[in-house]
Amino acid sequence: MSAGPYNYSYIFKYIIIGDMGVGKSCLLHQFTEKKFMADCPHTIGVEFGTRIIEVSGQKIKLQIWDTAGQERFRAVTRSYYRGAAGALMVYDITRRSTYNHLSSWLTDTRNLTNPSTVIFLIGNKCDLEGQRDVTYEEASKFAEENGLMFVEASAKTGDNVEEAFLETAKKIYQSIQDGRLDLNAAESGVQHKPSQPGRNNLSSDQQASKDNCAC
Amino acid sequence: MADVLSETVPPEDLKKFEKIYHEQLYKNDVTPKAQFEYAWCLVRSKYPADIQKGIILLEELYKTNEEGRRDYLYYLAIGTARLKEYSKAMTYVRSFLSIEPGNQQVISLEQQIKKRMEKEGLVGMAYAGGVVLAVGAILGVGLAIAGKSKS
Ligand SMILES: Nc1nc2c(ncn2[C@@H]2O[C@H](COP(=O)(O)OP(=O)(O)OP(=O)(O)O)[C@@H](O)[C@H]2O)c(=O)[nH]1
Ligand SMILES: [Mg+2]
Repeated sequence: MSAGPYNYSYIFKYIIIGDMGVGKSCLLHQFTEKKFMADCPHTIGVEFGTRIIEVSGQKIKLQIWDTAGQERFRAVTRSYYRGAAGALMVYDITRRSTYNHLSSWLTDTRNLTNPSTVIFLIGNKCDLEGQRDVTYEEASKFAEENGLMFVEASAKTGDNVEEAFLETAKKIYQSIQDGRLDLNAAESGVQHKPSQPGRNNLSSDQQASKDNCAC
Repeated sequence: MADVLSETVPPEDLKKFEKIYHEQLYKNDVTPKAQFEYAWCLVRSKYPADIQKGIILLEELYKTNEEGRRDYLYYLAIGTARLKEYSKAMTYVRSFLSIEPGNQQVISLEQQIKKRMEKEGLVGMAYAGGVVLAVGAILGVGLAIAGKSKS
């Protein structure tokens, strides 16, 4: 919070998607607050979180939209997919149905985002090994077949949570370096903010208006 | 800023849900779902008149469809806050939290509303006079959210 808006040079937009109760909000909370919410109510619509991270010496602000998994929110939450640079697609390793629904989540994501959007598959609740309902191998195979990055994680213990968010950012950053991601495209989900110390007021105005049209 | 109080609905989405709502309205058969989806888009519009309309639709839903009250209250808070009607917004947030005290999503909305009030020099305004309106007083109904409903 104390960090002013000019202490980073990029903004990446992320979305978190997946069935209700798989732990999307807990993953976000673990990533932004380093805390676990043991009894987390269903998200209403969307939640929002941010954190500044560093990739290859560049400070990057992640703007993360955590969508509600409950069916009644689906139609409208789709409008948040647009312009996402990263999509974290989550299932619960203890509930097979949440894994079975991945292909429909993936289809939606592919249809509503752009080809450069990085999709990261997270098998959450890996602390509950005894209740496992989806093997690591099959999920890993699914990820490979669909060109997704993949980890099993736990929002409870924090295992692999950082990794998922950071690896996604690294991959996006790589795409920028390679020129595969066009920063000027309206829906790339990335904004470049050349830092201009001493010109805060000016850049703050520009930034505000820019943000408005990006949403 | 990109947060739940400042992000705006893509115009094509607003149009899409407006169309569905109007088709149902024409047939005199509006489902709470269509009305909610349209209202949810309206309160995220950049035009105050749209937000106002979204609020009216949400108020109507709140009175007629008990099971969705939790959702309506949340978006009523967002809509009124975006219109800078902070004391109403705080009333919605407070009544939500009186029923679901630990709700992190709503606590963080409350913090954002307070931050806006501070920025606009309105700290304490919501409670000036010492009276926080009850939701029932705004909407003319008794308050009850259908629990936390963890399904
Ligand atoms: N054991 C364990 N429980 C978890 C983990 N992550 C989340 N949970 C629990 O799972 C429940 C659902 O988590 P949420 O984060 O609310 O799930 P969600 O995906 O955001 O659900 P919706 O908002 O309805 O879409 C909560 O009671 C959490 O405490 C985890 O890694 N391990
Ligand atoms: Mg959630």
